[in-house]
Amino acid sequence: MEEMFMAPVVEAIDLKKTYMLGKIPVEALRGVNLKVESGDFLSILGPSGSGKSTLLNLVGALDKPTAGKLSIDGVDVSTLNDNQLADLRLRIGFVFQFFNLIPRFTARDNVELAMSIKGINKSARTKRAQELLETVGLKDRINHKPAELSGGQQQRVAIARALANDPRFLLMDEPTGNIDSKTAREVLNLIQRINGEGVTIVMVTHDQRLALEAKRTVQMFDGVIASDLVN
Amino acid sequence: MRTSDVFSYSFSAIKLRKLRAALTTLGVVIGIAAIVALLSITQGLQTTITDQLERGLSADTLIVVPGSSALGGGEGGGFAGGGFGGSSSNAPLHINYTDEINNLSPDIITSFAVVQKAGYVQNGSGVIRIVTTITGVNFSQYANAYSTTFVAATGSIPLNPSNDEIVVGARLSDPRFNGTLFVRANDEVNITWTNNTVIPFVNKTYTAHVAAVLDRIGGFGIGGPSDTGIYVPLTRAEEFFGTDEADVIIVKLRSSDAATINSTSIIITDYFGDQVSVISATAVQSLLTTIFSTISLFLGGIAAISLLVAGIGIMNIMIVSLIERTREIGILKAIGMKSRTVLYIFLTESVIIGLIGAVIGILSGWVLANGVALFLGRGGVIGSALTITPVLTVEVILGALGFGIGISVIFALYPAWRASKLKPVEALRYE
Repeated sequence: MEEMFMAPVVEAIDLKKTYMLGKIPVEALRGVNLKVESGDFLSILGPSGSGKSTLLNLVGALDKPTAGKLSIDGVDVSTLNDNQLADLRLRIGFVFQFFNLIPRFTARDNVELAMSIKGINKSARTKRAQELLETVGLKDRINHKPAELSGGQQQRVAIARALANDPRFLLMDEPTGNIDSKTAREVLNLIQRINGEGVTIVMVTHDQRLALEAKRTVQMFDGVIASDLVN
Repeated sequence: MRTSDVFSYSFSAIKLRKLRAALTTLGVVIGIAAIVALLSITQGLQTTITDQLERGLSADTLIVVPGSSALGGGEGGGFAGGGFGGSSSNAPLHINYTDEINNLSPDIITSFAVVQKAGYVQNGSGVIRIVTTITGVNFSQYANAYSTTFVAATGSIPLNPSNDEIVVGARLSDPRFNGTLFVRANDEVNITWTNNTVIPFVNKTYTAHVAAVLDRIGGFGIGGPSDTGIYVPLTRAEEFFGTDEADVIIVKLRSSDAATINSTSIIITDYFGDQVSVISATAVQSLLTTIFSTISLFLGGIAAISLLVAGIGIMNIMIVSLIERTREIGILKAIGMKSRTVLYIFLTESVIIGLIGAVIGILSGWVLANGVALFLGRGGVIGSALTITPVLTVEVILGALGFGIGISVIFALYPAWRASKLKPVEALRYE
């Protein structure tokens, strides 16, 4: 019932983004229309240069569009200043290809960091970090630093971190791109399990097989959406 | 992000680069230590000198010396040298001027003349001679004016001395303060003065009887008694030196307040048509304060330069740190950290470095100051009775803390600002 009143998680209307590469303008996005509803598992597939990274940056509130409208969790991104964008990013859970954990922090401290940025107190953070790391299957790796963890384990820590602030959706950039295929399967299973628990997921990849594991695949080509199919 | 979390995040970043942080901190330590050491030694020196002056210079006395040099009146003016030896005399100051001075103002209780010449004394053995200042004074007036310092330790000061009776300072009796006495009360000594106003120079000597040895004073004794002086009756001095000129006339006032000192100083100076200079304890002290604050400022300024260098060191490592951590900043921003918080994190790092540096710097500056004071106290440089006890005031501590942290923050501002302005997309892409 609740979802009926909710704005789409992401809504892009005629979204355009132009970069200046030196003095030459590059049209990375040339009018993208996209809607991600709550609970969805969307994969964005495309070769390099198709504009999928640009779309990822916009949907992640890391950058602002040149033209068109982009709403994230009902908020129009183009009207926001840097501070407001940062606050909006607290509602997005980022998972990167290269994990991007802070090397000097333990798994728990990395998960806690996301919550400390939000201003959550220490005891609540520690408890939640513990729970999340158990959820992603790292109960016995809580006090390990990234260098002491395998790629798959690091990505699980990153997923736990992304979930820490109860985000509206997880935004994943080639989440299995830097993990061996066997471990990648496990990570993918984890992602699907999380989605099954109601977490919206947007995943960017150039790997067709991975893209097909999502509920819905958007194919990008040359700055526009070439196809949008339910798998 | 909570302040405590910002702090612990910054601290974790510093801990990661211990050696680099330690070296940067060392820069701050050196700067702060130099400032603290110099200022506390200067302050200690000022305290010592002021203290000694106060002992040799009663607040309710004026000292009149011949010569209109810049030897300041009551307004706290200059204090040029030369006065006591009588080298800069325009018009001589006659011993009997005291009668005139006594009548100048109701604020004047009395005045008396002092004749001072350099000479030397030989004890009974006749082998060692010690250079001294021979001071001719009226013993009873002198004892009255300097009731706390012109006091006998052994023997007694004769108030109506016979011609050959003298009183000697503590240091003359025990030159090294080690118990090996040069003269003691009731000894006979030979006093020699070289009259260099005639050609060829004439040495004059007479044998005197030591009636008393003074208590140790420890002061400079401008006009007043000194540890290294010998005191002969005024009439004997006039006869021995063949003069009726005073080197100093000491004027005892009814009150030691600034208004009395100023007005009386002016009256005396005017009366002698600016041919004399009047020195007061307050004027000397205010002059000393001025001199020492200038010295403090000068030395502190030099030390501050080293802190400036430390500041540049901080800026340097913060920029290196910012470049190294570009990706980290990108991650932090991507997961929702505000630019402002990134700025705080970098500034906090420099505050931690500045704070640690300042605290260690204050402690080591204090140790350094005491080490130097110990060295000087042993006679390393100054040698005399002057011992310095470094003084560390709360102002200096707070100032050093503030300055250390302030410099750290100022020099971290630019790197911190640059870090905060990094674009997350570009920062994340940085390898």
